[in-house]
Amino acid sequence: MNVRRLIGRMFPLVFLGGLFLYAVWPWLPFARPPATPTIVFYGFSILSDAMNDGIMPAFQTKWRGDGHGEVRFRTSFGGSGTVTNQIALGAPAQLALLSLESDADRLADAKVIPAGSWKKLPNGGVVNRTPFIIIVRPGNPLEIRDFADLTKPGVRIVHPDPLTSGGANWAIIAEYGAGMRASNGDKDAGEALLSGVWRNVAAQAASARAARTQFENGFGDALITYEQEAAYDRSRGRLKADVVYPKHTILSEHTLVVVDRNVRKEERALVDAFTQYLWSEEAQRIFVHYGFRSVRDELNAGHPEFGRVEDPFLISDFGGWRRAKKEIVDAIWKQRVMQIAPKP
Amino acid sequence: MSAAVQTGIQRRRAAVPAALVMLFLVPLILLPLAAVFVFAFRGGVAAFWRALGTPEAQFALRFSLLIAFASGAINAILGTFTAYVLSRYRFRGQRVLGIIVNLPVAIPTVVVGTSLLLLWGPIGLLGRALPAGMQPMFAPAGVLLAHLFVTFPYMLGAVKPVLDELEETYEEAAYTIGATTWQTFRFVILPTLKGGLFAGALLTFAHSLGEFGATVMVSGNLRLKTQTAPLYIFAQFEAGNIETANAVAAVLAILSFCIFFVLLRYTARPSDQP
Repeated sequence: MNVRRLIGRMFPLVFLGGLFLYAVWPWLPFARPPATPTIVFYGFSILSDAMNDGIMPAFQTKWRGDGHGEVRFRTSFGGSGTVTNQIALGAPAQLALLSLESDADRLADAKVIPAGSWKKLPNGGVVNRTPFIIIVRPGNPLEIRDFADLTKPGVRIVHPDPLTSGGANWAIIAEYGAGMRASNGDKDAGEALLSGVWRNVAAQAASARAARTQFENGFGDALITYEQEAAYDRSRGRLKADVVYPKHTILSEHTLVVVDRNVRKEERALVDAFTQYLWSEEAQRIFVHYGFRSVRDELNAGHPEFGRVEDPFLISDFGGWRRAKKEIVDAIWKQRVMQIAPKP
Repeated sequence: MSAAVQTGIQRRRAAVPAALVMLFLVPLILLPLAAVFVFAFRGGVAAFWRALGTPEAQFALRFSLLIAFASGAINAILGTFTAYVLSRYRFRGQRVLGIIVNLPVAIPTVVVGTSLLLLWGPIGLLGRALPAGMQPMFAPAGVLLAHLFVTFPYMLGAVKPVLDELEETYEEAAYTIGATTWQTFRFVILPTLKGGLFAGALLTFAHSLGEFGATVMVSGNLRLKTQTAPLYIFAQFEAGNIETANAVAAVLAILSFCIFFVLLRYTARPSDQP
């Protein structure tokens, strides 16, 4: 009896004391590892595996091998728009790999980085690419072969949200551009395809990765997303869905920005070295391994998980992101398509 | 008619409504909780431990616990003091103050996060005046600020009723034998508050451990720096790592059960009843 009471009395103390000890453990003086130089890296959603498991460990090995010692990474991944907003509000990112160049423009407009500063980086700041594709259920039961098939009544599409997701903005240009190019540049055909697709959007997620999770959890018949999402799983034989390559689709290009105001003088050399490393052959090969298409075409050869796109196009075909954002995303999608499209 | 017979009848009558309650409690509350554990252990115990052992998961759990301990401790002091002032003094604006301190219960946590950003953020009203290294948003301090805000009323709610019921004659007696305000508080009021203080701190702790809405706005969601356990769960789930997310979710659930258990035992003990 007394023992039970004692246990009853001691339990809260032991429980809370134990929790506290567990929580502070790494910060106790004898447990603390010496401070190591750190890179703070933000990226858009689908990058997390490629960066955390591929690029960063490889750079750590290289940096150690070059005799510079240890380096640590702090990372955060989310929708490109979300990441951009966080950085504009002062998140401590030193490097950010954004899905859209227009997110870099937004950072420049917010005076976080000098306008166009990313254009001075290798390859105009573009680190890697990937075309936009459609992922459907195994066996393609609805027989979806192109964007146009997504406009059929009853098809439920999972689409990331253009407000926060860079991929969603690419997808809008892909849908619009595919309609246009299928009928010799007719803008009305582009808008018709875009609104047809959006009439069937059944679920919107904050990022491309979140949209894919929704799709994997059983929502919807089709997902419009980056080829990378499918290619990495396909190369490991783990894709439980079919990939449909539209005849006309966009090749997205992902832009790196360096946020100088978050880089201290003593960190400069490290941040610059990592920036340059992203375009090295080693890093580009790692991106290819994780399903991105390299900016060096020769590295993409011999990868069967990269399907053929008959007519790929680029954002420069629409006059760059600044114009496309204004003329297509804002003027057509936001002002016109969304006014008629919404249907629960 | 003996009491035993009566309770027997009552028990039989209760069987139907009690079964009805269970009928909706099972799908509403028990099954979802069970799903967390089923999913967390689906890959086996080894996979469960591996998911928990990553530096990110360990950090998220520790960071959440530290913030919860700090919120509990700080709000224990601030909340008790506020309760003392509200219950022992009469002044103009008291009613308004009473409403303000309970406001955090009613405000959506996302709004709390937004308002903190707009005040302390780099473009915020006060934040813009702070030097770069001192800004609390997207740093652990910002998470703590958000949690203090959100959990403030819990301490007050646990302590103030006890204070209100406490007969002032004890305090008056203490004053007449020459005790100072502090001595009266320390030796007369504080001992009776022990139960309320503990319960309030534990409630604060539990709420802080699970806080999501405000944290997601102010933390910047930095792995190994400002990512709390609930944010970790959300990020992993969104990324499709459902087992990883659920391993941490299961730990949070177990921790909450333990806290709840302690809370029940401590507050329900007959010797603590007034």
